[in-house]
Amino acid sequence: MTEADEHMDFDLEVEPEDAGQEALETDLGDPCLVVDDLHVVYRVIGGRARKEAEKGGAEIREIKVKVPFHKRLLQAGRRHVGAVSEVHAVRGVSFTVRHGESIGIVGVNGSGKSTMLRAIAGLMPPKKGSVHVSGEPSLLGVNAALMPQLTGERNIMIGGLALGLTPKQVDEKFDEVVEFAGIGDFVYLPMTTYSSGMGARLRFAISSAASPDILMIDEALATGDAAFKERSKSRIEEVRANAGTVFLVSHSISTIEAMCTRVLWMHQGQLVMDGPVHEVAEAYKNFVRAQRPGMGPARRRALQRKRAAEEAARKKAEEAELKKAQEAEANKAEATA
Amino acid sequence: MSTPTTDAAAPAKPAASGNAKQPPPPLVPGTTSAERLALAKQYGLRPLNVRPPLGEYIRDLTGRWAFIRVLATSTAYAKNQNNYLGQLWAVLNPILNATVYVLIFGILLGLNRGVDNSIAFIVIGVFMYRFIESSVTGGAKSISGKTQLLRSLHFPRAVLPMSTVLSLLTTLLPAIVVMCIVTLLSGLLPGYEMIHVTWWWLLLPAAIALMWIFNTGLAFFMARYVATTPDIENVLPFVMRVVMYASGVIFPLADYVARLEIPETSKAIVGGVLEYQPVAVYLYLVRSVLMQEEQFPPSGLMWALGGVWAVVFFVIGFIVFWRGEERYGRD
Repeated sequence: MTEADEHMDFDLEVEPEDAGQEALETDLGDPCLVVDDLHVVYRVIGGRARKEAEKGGAEIREIKVKVPFHKRLLQAGRRHVGAVSEVHAVRGVSFTVRHGESIGIVGVNGSGKSTMLRAIAGLMPPKKGSVHVSGEPSLLGVNAALMPQLTGERNIMIGGLALGLTPKQVDEKFDEVVEFAGIGDFVYLPMTTYSSGMGARLRFAISSAASPDILMIDEALATGDAAFKERSKSRIEEVRANAGTVFLVSHSISTIEAMCTRVLWMHQGQLVMDGPVHEVAEAYKNFVRAQRPGMGPARRRALQRKRAAEEAARKKAEEAELKKAQEAEANKAEATA
Repeated sequence: MSTPTTDAAAPAKPAASGNAKQPPPPLVPGTTSAERLALAKQYGLRPLNVRPPLGEYIRDLTGRWAFIRVLATSTAYAKNQNNYLGQLWAVLNPILNATVYVLIFGILLGLNRGVDNSIAFIVIGVFMYRFIESSVTGGAKSISGKTQLLRSLHFPRAVLPMSTVLSLLTTLLPAIVVMCIVTLLSGLLPGYEMIHVTWWWLLLPAAIALMWIFNTGLAFFMARYVATTPDIENVLPFVMRVVMYASGVIFPLADYVARLEIPETSKAIVGGVLEYQPVAVYLYLVRSVLMQEEQFPPSGLMWALGGVWAVVFFVIGFIVFWRGEERYGRD
């Protein structure tokens, strides 16, 4: 199994707390984001990056002109000296988004999801095309670089100021951010001591504190626990209720199904599907299943049987627990009587 | 259920099971580019990734002063975070530095550089030059080393070089106190002229402030050029070493020029260039303020030059930096 396949496996993972949840329908307003024929190309300096990017399915083009045959000797060092490649990560994407929409972006690894998100957040300049937006977009990635040597408290201040709040506003929001992140007294310790989940939660709390018009979330929810997911979901609904728009990139299709109303499917830097959540999610799931090797009908049946068995075992355990509780209650009632 | 707007010409159909291995073909937008742009215009949407006008950019930047300050002090604080002695290193570091220079140049080599107090001469030169040098190297990394931050948050990018230099200024303050003390104490050593605290010392903050403005301008230049051509950073240490000797940090400039074997007229030109280039001017200003040395009499010309260099570098550097604003974070 290659690395890419493993990621695909992860794509289909169903997270129990997402099951049966759906994003609220809100009234759609005027367009708030217009993306017109967006192309994003970035330079990769150094030869090794080329192979990495190619594996992800991105189209790579060498800028260097071919060196004549008799300069073969010089060419030996080409990959190490002056090797510059271009990665054409997003290739001509156009769409329109209205106020109050919640949009999921799906696609296999390296399909240009994150790059596109950065471009429509205004953080990566496009090579061609344009992005028009109302209000200020705010991107929240797991990598949002704060200063790990400093305390969470200090980082809340830095992050808030970077988002354009005043020091006073940050102070006012401080308690709310800490509570939302659920990190308690850890906020007074350096961020290097945080678990990855705590760090991601704090970052999410900071970036959504500024109540942006367009909130973009890149894989940030994957690290949270169920309670945190619930909180972030209500935060997302809040942004949408205030006529804001939410973008969500996630590898968990169930998270997308639970939180989005519309899904964009990207493949090799292009938009291949754009529509209501169930339609696109279904098609995408079919596609990913078909990609999986050794996932014939027999194995799928076996998996289903295994899941059913697990389900039965869980139910049994629950029943036993319930029975136990009832007995205990009965005993207690007897004792008091 | 309200259908979200899609630009697809035809409603997308789920892929049939037969060709599920292939993703659907790329969507053909249902609207033309001109229609989309008209739509954006109609609803008053603002284009992204367009460099803001200079005036707006400056207003935005001044509104971020608190961010610059917090980022600078946090960076300075984080530098000494992982030590047992913690922030004490902010003072210990310059003390150790000064000790090394006094030991090597003052006592072991014992060179007389045509100045009455060579220890004060060297310590002032080295401390002030380090401020300039670290502004150049720090400014060079202020954009290229923060790609992740640039790709995550939106703010005027000029915040980064400005906070880098401000952070260096914060670490410089304890060093300046050490520098003044060493300068005063050096007079106690035999063979070194006594240095007194005079009214001129009050001008020290003004000289440092001019350097700060000048350094910020330098950092703007470096940030822009290193962001587009990272290779420049590899050349910087060598350039800075040449500048160090061409600015009279350790040896007085007059010594060099006098020893050059070139005609008198070119000597005057070379001497003038070396003497009035910004780094030498700032070293002169600080030395003239702190030392009572015949070579460094207080000079109105030098103060005027210091002001001119600071304004010129800051303004041009800022504009150069601003012209690359929409490109930072791309490569």
